[in-house]
Amino acid sequence: MSKHDQTPHLPRRKRSARLSLAVMGAGAFGLTACGQPPQEEQITEVRFDEPRSFQSVEECVAANIYTRSACEDAYSASLEAVPRFSTLEECEAEHGEGACTAPTEAQAQAATGSSGGSWFMPAMMGYMVGSMMSNTNRGRSFERVYQEPVYRNRQNQGNWNTASTQATQRVTQRNEAMRSSVVQNRQAAQSRQASTQRSGFGSRSSARGGWGS
Amino acid sequence: MLRIDIPERNNWKALAHELGFHFHTIGGEPYWKEDAYYQFTMEQVEQDIEAPTEELHEMCMELVDKVCHSNALMQRLSLPEHMWDSIHHSWKSGQPHLYGRMDFAYSGTGPAKLLELNYDTPTSLYEAGFFQWVWLEQAIEQGILPRHADQYNSIQERLINAMAHLGDRIEARTMHFSCIKDNAEERATVHYLQDVAVQAGLKAPFIYTEDIGLRAGMDHFVDLDDKPIHALFKLYPWEEMADDDFGEQIPQLNTHWFEPPWKAILSNKGILPLLWEHFEGHPNLLPAFFENASSPPLPAGWVRKPFFSREGSNIELITPSGQREAVDGPYTDSPWIRQAYHPMPRFGNNHALIGSWVVGDRACGMGIREDVGRITKDSSCFVPHAIV
Repeated sequence: MSKHDQTPHLPRRKRSARLSLAVMGAGAFGLTACGQPPQEEQITEVRFDEPRSFQSVEECVAANIYTRSACEDAYSASLEAVPRFSTLEECEAEHGEGACTAPTEAQAQAATGSSGGSWFMPAMMGYMVGSMMSNTNRGRSFERVYQEPVYRNRQNQGNWNTASTQATQRVTQRNEAMRSSVVQNRQAAQSRQASTQRSGFGSRSSARGGWGS
Repeated sequence: MLRIDIPERNNWKALAHELGFHFHTIGGEPYWKEDAYYQFTMEQVEQDIEAPTEELHEMCMELVDKVCHSNALMQRLSLPEHMWDSIHHSWKSGQPHLYGRMDFAYSGTGPAKLLELNYDTPTSLYEAGFFQWVWLEQAIEQGILPRHADQYNSIQERLINAMAHLGDRIEARTMHFSCIKDNAEERATVHYLQDVAVQAGLKAPFIYTEDIGLRAGMDHFVDLDDKPIHALFKLYPWEEMADDDFGEQIPQLNTHWFEPPWKAILSNKGILPLLWEHFEGHPNLLPAFFENASSPPLPAGWVRKPFFSREGSNIELITPSGQREAVDGPYTDSPWIRQAYHPMPRFGNNHALIGSWVVGDRACGMGIREDVGRITKDSSCFVPHAIV
């Protein structure tokens, strides 16, 4: 199978094209699908490039940074992640008046794998493609497109990235009083011992053996 | 869905050791078995497993939101009160989770039925995400499987993407990884996740759960050098953490946990009756109810499960024809639920269970466990699958 297949719709395939291990096992391990021999190599460095925004697959291809299939994969991934609504009104209620559209035939195809479908989505302002470059001790580089978002956008939730900083401050403030009392209690309890306590988690584990499920 | 006998790969045990899969045999009994595989069609995978998994996952997210806004539901799930704020806050601030597994009874026809969620400390990840994939590639290469064979498995790739996403959002791109001492299988699962994290560009130091430190004046739990742990993956369940000696400190400190505290809602079998209450009649759900003091003895055709249990422990079932099966265990101190019995498909002497993986918010692969009994346990074998 060619990674540079020019056909717009690659045959469906449910498994990753290649996987490797970086640190696990006796010798680090890399395998590539489709009959190439396994090579023992180790990932020594991973770099991310800045994700770039494109308006269309053609623009992505024209930028001459990513392969056509990488551009298409990222496009499909972002389309799949776009929230879908059964009516224009529902979509506009969440995304604002005039912000929504019905998918084009090509978008419906890319998003759901089948053409048509009567749904609405917020108009796409372009999509992001980023890549991750893993270098190995054998001097090979794996380039892997990483597609955002891994997570669905949930309306009721903050952006964790920014929220976490603010939240940290809030929690810090809110718990200040509580913590100082806890710390005082702890300090009292610790007066006869080293200042770091351990075995506070997991010490009852022997009764149950393990925690995986 | 078929179970098909095939030859094993030459020297797969040596390869397993080379690849860090030391628990392919547990206590002298095989855990990984490749003298057969489960065969699926693309339609079975996409329509009956992948699509329902994503749908159920969204239903679960809807329920998490409901529970987070209801002290009554928090109470109903026996979530300790000192964790309510952390649970609510971790959800409202959008703290991402990493992964989870749904267990299905599915025979190849009809809807897959959700038996339970393993959304806090799922294992069998390395086997499903990596070793199974290697098996397929080599089985094709060695002519054991046809060239067009495929597998429902982008688990590792998705994990790397998710880790990269998390890495961008945590201090110094550093995630500590932890599990308890003296458990080789869990250590291997965590080792695998560390590997994934490294491939995603994170620093991924290890610390045993028991070694996590608490230090006066620090805003975070600390590592063995008394340095703050900003982000920590734990293969250790929330209900235990909350009850442990350091449990009350969790809400006071700023360490970010993976899975996040809101996963406590989904790792609890009380979620099964709640799902049924909110989505009664959904084709992928089984009727489920909370047991209470006035519940009659377990009738035929029902299964009894504790809120908190792992690997099949303390589960009791009575088939519609009255056969009783039970697994003993230590989980007797939590409330119980009852779920309608739904048979797992049987192939020869084996009952097969589908584990359907979710990474981030995507369904991305599966692993099959089989057992001679009707209750899947930690000793149940892992058998690979292929789409042919």
